[in-house]
Amino acid sequence: MQPVSRRRFLTTSAGLAGILAAGVPPARGQQREISYLCWNNFAPASDKKLAEIAQRFTKDTGIKLKIDHISHMGPQQAKHAAEVQTQAGHDLVEMRMHVPWLYEPQLVDVSDVVVELEKKHGKAISSAYEASHVKGVWRAVPQYHGMFVCTYREDLFKKASLKVPDTWEDLYTVGKELKKMGNPVGIPISQNFDSISTASPVLWSFGGMEVDKDGKTVKINSPATVQTIEWYKKMYRDCMEAEVLSWSDSSNNESIQQGKAGWVHNPVSAYIVARNRKLVTADGINHHRSLAGPSGRHETDVPRSIGIWKFSKNVDASKEWIRYFIGKREVYDEYIMSGDAFNLPVFANLQDHPVFKTDPKYATLRGEGVQYHTYGWPAPPSDRVQLITNSYILPNMIAKAVTGTSTKDAIAWAENEMKKMIAG
Amino acid sequence: MTVARRPMLGKVARHLLLVPFLAFALFPFYHMTLTSLKQDRELYDRHAVPLIIKQGPTIEHYSKLVWDTEFLTWTKNSLLVAALSTAISVVLGTIAAYALARMKFFGVTAFGTGIFVTYLVPTSLLFLPLAQIINWVGLGDSKWALVLTYPTFLVPFCTWLLIGYFRTVPKEVEECAMVDGATRIQALWRIVLPMAVPGLVCAALFAFTLSWNEFIYALTFTSSSEQITASVGVTTELIRGDIYFWGSLMAGAVLGSVPIVILYVVFLDYYVSGLTAGAIK
Amino acid sequence: MAVRADRIPIPRGRPLVARLRSWMDRETVLGPVFVTPALLLLLLLVAYPFVMALYFSMSNAFIGRPSEFIGIRNFVKLWDSDAFRQTFQNAFVFTGIAVAFKIVLGIVLALLLNEQLWLKRLIRGAVLLPWVIPTALSTLGWWWMFNSLYSVVNWTGIATGLMDPPGPNWLGQKYYAMAAVITVNVWRGLPFFAITILAGLVAIPKELYEAAEADGAGANARFWHITLPLLKPVLAVVVLFSTILTFSDFNIVYVLTHGGPINSTHLFATLSRMIGIDTGRIGEGAAISLYLFPLLVFVVWAQLRFVRKQAY
Repeated sequence: MQPVSRRRFLTTSAGLAGILAAGVPPARGQQREISYLCWNNFAPASDKKLAEIAQRFTKDTGIKLKIDHISHMGPQQAKHAAEVQTQAGHDLVEMRMHVPWLYEPQLVDVSDVVVELEKKHGKAISSAYEASHVKGVWRAVPQYHGMFVCTYREDLFKKASLKVPDTWEDLYTVGKELKKMGNPVGIPISQNFDSISTASPVLWSFGGMEVDKDGKTVKINSPATVQTIEWYKKMYRDCMEAEVLSWSDSSNNESIQQGKAGWVHNPVSAYIVARNRKLVTADGINHHRSLAGPSGRHETDVPRSIGIWKFSKNVDASKEWIRYFIGKREVYDEYIMSGDAFNLPVFANLQDHPVFKTDPKYATLRGEGVQYHTYGWPAPPSDRVQLITNSYILPNMIAKAVTGTSTKDAIAWAENEMKKMIAG
Repeated sequence: MTVARRPMLGKVARHLLLVPFLAFALFPFYHMTLTSLKQDRELYDRHAVPLIIKQGPTIEHYSKLVWDTEFLTWTKNSLLVAALSTAISVVLGTIAAYALARMKFFGVTAFGTGIFVTYLVPTSLLFLPLAQIINWVGLGDSKWALVLTYPTFLVPFCTWLLIGYFRTVPKEVEECAMVDGATRIQALWRIVLPMAVPGLVCAALFAFTLSWNEFIYALTFTSSSEQITASVGVTTELIRGDIYFWGSLMAGAVLGSVPIVILYVVFLDYYVSGLTAGAIK
Repeated sequence: MAVRADRIPIPRGRPLVARLRSWMDRETVLGPVFVTPALLLLLLLVAYPFVMALYFSMSNAFIGRPSEFIGIRNFVKLWDSDAFRQTFQNAFVFTGIAVAFKIVLGIVLALLLNEQLWLKRLIRGAVLLPWVIPTALSTLGWWWMFNSLYSVVNWTGIATGLMDPPGPNWLGQKYYAMAAVITVNVWRGLPFFAITILAGLVAIPKELYEAAEADGAGANARFWHITLPLLKPVLAVVVLFSTILTFSDFNIVYVLTHGGPINSTHLFATLSRMIGIDTGRIGEGAAISLYLFPLLVFVVWAQLRFVRKQAY
């Protein structure tokens, strides 16, 4: 294709000019240098800790490490795209959820590193596996994760002698009382990721799915989906208020922080912000284990991993960084501790981590028996499946159903949309 | 006398009618500034009064913005990009405008129309292919990409503005100079430009303001924290996931506008004349 | 023709330089030379990308992968998409309402500013401020003003009894979000209209008004039969420019609503960015932004016909 060859010409000639100018053959320099593109962590302290660890790494191994930060979501996505396009940029990139699937052809096979890490720390949790293990090969190394947790106003529950829910059905029972008290449940049903993050576990817990694990068969039209929608309908009617239809990603945080919502489903940021801003509700907020349904206890997870671009000239040095940062137990622990429970370990042997003891409210984050998944499970997160997620079909279907469309019609609409997207 | 009173009444009435317009125009700035000075406790209190500060002002949002984020880097980037783009655009615009206003040569009308048409092609149409071009030449995620692309919408504007100003310089003055032996270039440099200084200042001011204001190219061509401009930085980096740092967001909006406000206050008349020149010249 | 050879101090260099100088001095040479840098810039970074956009829109380009030509399939497929159909409608609704408001309010404000005023300079400066401040940043202020929990708009509405608590969730509900976005656009664009129309008003000779008044025309009649017709050229320019800028707006929608809720405020620019960059489908993204083109063509044609007729 014409433009491709022009690009290669420019970068090759620029590269050659650079080499000629430098007078030094590339890559095999005396001081090895690698660069790592990382997002702006929720917990600023862990970014500072990362910089510290990087300096110790340089001292111990002689490899210089430059860390660049970027705002996650939009800018990070654009940056990945730009680096892939120019075949130049950082050696290591931090990736959120199933981004490794998006860039599979561009990422180095890091199975050797992951096998080592799993020997040391135990197997990677299910969501990390789903996100970084692409078509039989590890394309990125699982790093840490931040899952959704059930956040509730413990003080209000105690006042009304409400039982802490264990299943989604329990939530409906206590939700009715909460709404009567003026502290309704707050689950968004709108076009944002928080909506998908709650609708998915509910669907999974009833045994349902959007697309099957072959990645092609749309399975949304099932009894489990009917149960999910019926559950949402009664929740909307008896436990929530209409405003949830227009919520944004931060609305549920704000609602519980401001003392309105009695129960929300969110990453631990809702509590942490309340605590750091010294809001009156902070003391009353606590977490409980993810809710179960007839088909088990499932939860939405946001795993993050580290990948190495194929165009990197320092693949070995990059792998050394990963081995140092995650492989060394003390270093990894130190990093996790600096994250204030935002960044949690993704390996089986580390699930009982001391970070949970830093605040009594973190106790239930341990989540025994919870299965973590990324969006779209059990389908592998191919482009088409990710398109279904990014088009908010699941929340839209539920929104239609709770505002008057019949369950049957809502499901039919969703099935139709998903089939169109899978067909491309 | 009633007749004498009526004009006064009319005048007061007219000023009163202006009040809603002024309130509409200025309230957002007042509110922004107010919020940036409020303590978090009062800021996030649903029952507080949003129009005043009751619990005492604080500068913590500003200090957090300046010390805990890369705000200073972003501002530096904005300044650099705006200054360089303005310089390039004013130079290119001046010579192009002079040629279009004064000279006859092959393609002069076509080019004049072409410049005009280009100005109407919105950046929101070009940003996608330009992103590819920027990546190809290796300027992806770099403020230099902005210095390269901003002139594309600044030059047409400057040219158009300056054509109007050059036309106000009487032809005879140049012709006199040329009869005395000056070349065209010398005539331009020594005679016409000094007389068109208001136009040049205007063009520079507008170019700087439009650069500082630009968003879609900046958002698309720069992404890492070191390369982004003030507008992009404030709107993207002060939101971490679902946590919005409203106090710092407002502080960032206020501080990010400061350079433009300073220019504006000093050069107010140039801004007004620039806008009007555009319409009637 | 200017006399040259004897008067100009010929440098003690080679005659070639002097010949070059005098060759450069000719209009037919200097003109193109002066114009070339700008021309090159616009050819390389406007014309060429435009052609590229056309190519992308007719291919299945995806970030980081080779693409193939697929004809107008993108343009056609877009009509199947809920989001696109909504965007198409949004663009016209948004532009139509916003420009209408700006015209009416702009004329009113210009008329007010045209009078003898105290603190005229200060008032004009204050009025122009929204247009001068970077839009992305001032929109942040509006974002906070429309925030679902802390909106000062709602607070004021409730305090003055115009709204029932808790007041609408401006940015979360379809029609309210569009209203919010239009409000910010009008807020930002009104100064441009007002100041430009003011310039047009100032140019109307006072004698016309005096003559009309002498003939018995009231203020209303003077406005409709003198002011408005004579403002037409200025209005035409301003409206045409503003139509393009409003139709292709990005900053306001992106910062305020990101196109939501449920695509009800998406414009071509924001949708194009979401599809082209966020999901990587460059082909579709380019096709979306090219839907701006027909309007552009129309506006350019209208401008060239109308404005050039008037100006030259």
